[in-house]
Amino acid sequence: MDVEFKVRRFDGEKSYWQTFNIPVKKGMTVLEGLYYIKENLDGSLAFRASCRMAICGSCAVKINGKPRLACETQILEIGSRLEIEPLDNFKVIKDLITDFEGFFKKHEAVKPYLIRKDDNYEEPVELIQTPRELYTYYDFSLCVKCGACYSVCPAAATRDDYLGPAAITAAYRFNADSRDEGEKIRLALVCGDNGVWRCHFAAECSEVCPKQINPAKAVQKMRFKSAIEMIKSIFG
Amino acid sequence: MIMNLLRWFSVKGKSLFSMAFSLHRLTGVVLTIYLCMHLAYLTSIRMGKEVFESFIATTVTPQFLVFDILLVLAGVYHGVNGLRLIFHEFGLAYENRKSILYVSVAIVLVVWLIASYKMYMFVMGV
Repeated sequence: MDVEFKVRRFDGEKSYWQTFNIPVKKGMTVLEGLYYIKENLDGSLAFRASCRMAICGSCAVKINGKPRLACETQILEIGSRLEIEPLDNFKVIKDLITDFEGFFKKHEAVKPYLIRKDDNYEEPVELIQTPRELYTYYDFSLCVKCGACYSVCPAAATRDDYLGPAAITAAYRFNADSRDEGEKIRLALVCGDNGVWRCHFAAECSEVCPKQINPAKAVQKMRFKSAIEMIKSIFG
Repeated sequence: MIMNLLRWFSVKGKSLFSMAFSLHRLTGVVLTIYLCMHLAYLTSIRMGKEVFESFIATTVTPQFLVFDILLVLAGVYHGVNGLRLIFHEFGLAYENRKSILYVSVAIVLVVWLIASYKMYMFVMGV
């Protein structure tokens, strides 16, 4: 069966659509379709991919208007006509490749690692955690930084400096970790004008997350904690 | 910037939540414009009772009823959807967000229909 791939291309100056017809077998993924185009029809097609098993988050693209991981999306589940575009809210570098530098900088800005007062790399100590403590943040630790949530966020569409759902979710994941002692540091980072208060709760981030992480929930929880901290700070 | 603003209203590939968000923005703009017009109408009372009453007479008419009914829809939607958002922003019932969205739309429709009926009865003098 032949399927039409309509790909949004960008050569550095102009953006245009190009259509390819590719033979599809049952089980074939969109990423395999893109590789077929690159190997057989047009070697200049640029896209990003790595693990091919939905754990690296590199291949997120917009497929028929919705961001998905190309490596885990089966062509025949979508239909016989696919429109493939780069993610929104990111600067396009070439074809389906977008610039993630700002996205990763925002992620880095929220200190997505354990902060502890007793860090001792010479004599590391095992940090004990109960299963219940693990499950408070476990879901949020599954983020693959694919940028799907950021690409559909209406707040990120109009504010370049907005941290975005992925970064705030990372902050929440570490704040909810019983081994972490950096909650106040991260709350100070995300409670500003470019942080949790910029979210409009469109909740689309949770709808498109390929790992079903619910970034919008993490943002609301961080917002609630920020509000409590701000009220506490008023009363000393 | 304009293109980015238009993304607020893009619905292709989006879920019901994005549509709820787009409508919330749209009704917010409509209500802001209405508020300005409403204040301008109220200010006309400074020009005399007759001027004010002539303004009111032009709007409380069967011809204007359709706009009033749409305005009520915008107001009720914006209010009910706003309460839904506040509810979730407190971190509550997040997992039931889809059901809550359906319930809030149902509330909007019921309140809007009742209000429209009452307005129709009032304007038509029934």
